[in-house]
Amino acid sequence: MNPWRQKMPLEWQRYVNNEVKVVADEKRQYQGWVYTVDPVSASIVLVNPQEDGRAHVTVVMGHAVEKVELLQDGGEEIAQRLSSLFSPDGVQTVSREELQSKKGCLRAWLEKNRIPVTEEGEALCVAGVLRINPPYGSADCISSNEIILSRVQSLVESNPGIQG
Amino acid sequence: MKTPVSVLRLPRGPDPNSRGFDPNSARFLALCPTTVSASSAADAHGVALRDEQRARSLLRERFLRSLLAMCGRPVRFSMYEKVQVEAKFGASDIDVLNFQVSDLQTPIGVQKEALLRCPDIITYNFEI
Repeated sequence: MNPWRQKMPLEWQRYVNNEVKVVADEKRQYQGWVYTVDPVSASIVLVNPQEDGRAHVTVVMGHAVEKVELLQDGGEEIAQRLSSLFSPDGVQTVSREELQSKKGCLRAWLEKNRIPVTEEGEALCVAGVLRINPPYGSADCISSNEIILSRVQSLVESNPGIQG
Repeated sequence: MKTPVSVLRLPRGPDPNSRGFDPNSARFLALCPTTVSASSAADAHGVALRDEQRARSLLRERFLRSLLAMCGRPVRFSMYEKVQVEAKFGASDIDVLNFQVSDLQTPIGVQKEALLRCPDIITYNFEI
């Protein structure tokens, strides 16, 4: 087994979001930004973004890796770009500020409807029996009480949103 | 559009260990010995082990997403002995030892369904 495959996950993780040059078997060389290193096969997923928003992805199988050279550290921007490239459609990453404002808006709406609500960390706790987790949609309500659950869910869905 | 031709395939017996993830299976021991074991240094401290497991699951989740992004797309495989083939990616097994592909373009024709052995592959690439 080659040295690359014998590394630990924490060592592999240090390459993520950075630009590397990989030398593989049969004298091949590949360069790109590391999206991930598979801990099972040690395969390196390299991404080369293109101008039109698409990207070219090359994966070097772990058993074929001879040498990995770190070229430059990536930043927040490339990390975001890589994550969003592989996110499935329909799933959006919501920023912390948006989550906070959504939580505040929902809490205000529930209080307006005379529902007792407290905050428990990131979640909203309704009447001590129902939890609303981020991102505070009707599908994020958790309770063992069906009646309260359906009432709160319809309230969440009818939330007119952030006022002016 | 190339006409599919029948390609001779060698028969494979059934896998006696249907759960390929069984660490005692002959296949697992032969092909991927130590991928699942945690580092020995991490055994001493729960925190280090937790960090390692967190790194492992993060890396694996991203890899699974990359596999998902590949599904149904044309992928070019560079294999040993300068073999280059293109096929539509279908699925991978859990140990990343086999890739199921469709419409595999080979020098002797287009194979409608095929299984590629990952140890034969050096790299593969695709566009997203």
